[in-house]
Amino acid sequence: MMIQWLWITALHVAPKWLESLVEQLFAALPVWLTSNLTPTDATDFIVWPLLQIGVMLLIVLTVVAYLTLAERKVSAWIQVRVGPNRTGPLGLLQPAADGIKLLIKEDVIPFKADKVVFTLAPIISMVCAFIVLAVLPYGPHYASITNINIGLLFILSVSSVGVLGIILGGWASNSKYPLLGALRSSAQMVSYEAAIGLTIVSALIFTRTFSMQGIVEAQRSLGVWFILFLFPSFIVFLVSAVAETNRAPFDLAEAESELVGGFHTEYSGFRFSIFFIAEYTNMVVVSAIAATLYLGGWYVPGMDWVAAQLPAAYREAALTLMGVTAFSIKCGAILYLFIWMRWTFPRYRYDQLMELGWKWLMPAALANIVLTATIFILGKELGLVRSVKGVLEMAWQGKVFFTVAGFLSLFPILALLNAINRNSRSFNLRAQRTTIPLSTRKVKLSPGVKPA
Amino acid sequence: MLLVGWEALFFWLLTLAALFAAVFTVSAHNPVHCALFLISTLIATAGLFLLLRAEFVAGAQILVYVGGILVLFLFVLMLVNTRSEVENPFNRQDKVGAFIAVLVGLALLGAVTYTQQRGGFFKTKPSADRLAIENARPDPNAPAGVISADTETLGVTLYTRAVLPFEIASVLLLMAIVGSVLLARDRRQEETYD
Repeated sequence: MMIQWLWITALHVAPKWLESLVEQLFAALPVWLTSNLTPTDATDFIVWPLLQIGVMLLIVLTVVAYLTLAERKVSAWIQVRVGPNRTGPLGLLQPAADGIKLLIKEDVIPFKADKVVFTLAPIISMVCAFIVLAVLPYGPHYASITNINIGLLFILSVSSVGVLGIILGGWASNSKYPLLGALRSSAQMVSYEAAIGLTIVSALIFTRTFSMQGIVEAQRSLGVWFILFLFPSFIVFLVSAVAETNRAPFDLAEAESELVGGFHTEYSGFRFSIFFIAEYTNMVVVSAIAATLYLGGWYVPGMDWVAAQLPAAYREAALTLMGVTAFSIKCGAILYLFIWMRWTFPRYRYDQLMELGWKWLMPAALANIVLTATIFILGKELGLVRSVKGVLEMAWQGKVFFTVAGFLSLFPILALLNAINRNSRSFNLRAQRTTIPLSTRKVKLSPGVKPA
Repeated sequence: MLLVGWEALFFWLLTLAALFAAVFTVSAHNPVHCALFLISTLIATAGLFLLLRAEFVAGAQILVYVGGILVLFLFVLMLVNTRSEVENPFNRQDKVGAFIAVLVGLALLGAVTYTQQRGGFFKTKPSADRLAIENARPDPNAPAGVISADTETLGVTLYTRAVLPFEIASVLLLMAIVGSVLLARDRRQEETYD
């Protein structure tokens, strides 16, 4: 009664005060803007970034479109087929034809779906995939949009939000196969995100910063790529990255042969293509992180020397051009590796996937943190490396030491993984029943004992 | 620290977003919608951390809460049949719950006003280092490999001054993990599998 009365009075009173409020706001807005938005601010924070974002989005969308063509061409090549070759020369217009087809298809929303969440899910996926593009270091100077000091953490956290798109899409469809796909994907994402996060920590010991440009600069000042120092970390990252992007052999969230289409079974037309674009954009992002963290980003040894030979006026432009080219080549190589993996390896079973995540990648990443930290401290004590204002300085002896130690640390990690996986039980209950009978387990619960 | 200009605008936008999303978290009927509103609240809170120039905390907030915990929330919500909750969202506890909520809210309000009257949350004046960190703006053209002050401060604090609470919290979490595994898979259950 009380609430009703309040509501009615509010409805009667509202228009008047609302009107005055809106009037006041509109009167105050120009004053506020002129005092808070100087012309230089406007160009620095609005016009210039928007320009960069527009150009970058155009390029990345084209890359993503042709990535789908590359996927089909490479798969055809691996399977000794020809692949798309009818639309345009060599099938080069195929992405455009696909896009138009998806745009003009009927957009079906299932009758019993949760409509708001159903429409929200692809948007979350795509927005999260695109936001990350803003902090990637495409090249030096003007070739990257922004350089924030938590770049890497920002990428990780935003892409972890992107998982919600898959989960919500699967749930909102109100259908069995998408729900199964969503369940699988949420468990998979949580497991492999942990592995990615941990393996990045060991890389951070050498980069000394989260900023993506800072990571590249750290490698530039040393003149080496961190893959030399961090080879085990690179392997763990690569495997987890494939799982993060939901690609074969870890594509359990969609698994065509088991779940029809997985989480996007009920999606059609343009909504489906949004999921598709998000997936391929995530591939680009993940390969960009791998290229930045381990392969030097836009830096190639010797590029500063080449730039120094040129006249001073062209130096910066040449550096930018070389940087962007190097970055694109590195990303392209890793993307090719992803496609190659997809068409080479068979899909993992669900329990195998969990086992790989928790019993192989997680311990490897954890052991790698401890080993890398130990090696770093050892190098510091031996006087091979100095940290000056957060920047590492080392002579060639230091580089050799860290490279050798980095590759040698593979052995203790492999020994640890062997020890763990020999003495622990399989996640698969069926396998447990056959290998470890309950009678032996009751008597000897110590993990070192092998059952007869 | 007085809020002016863009900071004030973003502060009010984020605060309102967080508050309204929090209200909807409680009032939404569908548990998955509740989880979605909770996510909005957490992201708005991360934005507030950014305004405090605690970039690392903001990133970790989204990574841990939205990417980890809320994903697991949704995971559980999908497995559990929540239809009965949708039909009857209230139970006998709601009056007691409302009473306790009002009590806690009043206590918080009192605490805030009390500390404000005593001259803010910080009794002592912040040190020069602390002020330098607080007033430092991220340099867009930072030289090679500079550690952001925020991440460094957090790391140093976590392993020096706050090491005991940190360890206690981690042991608590470990206990929760081991306990849940023990509850989920006891010997009786394994016997039924055999």
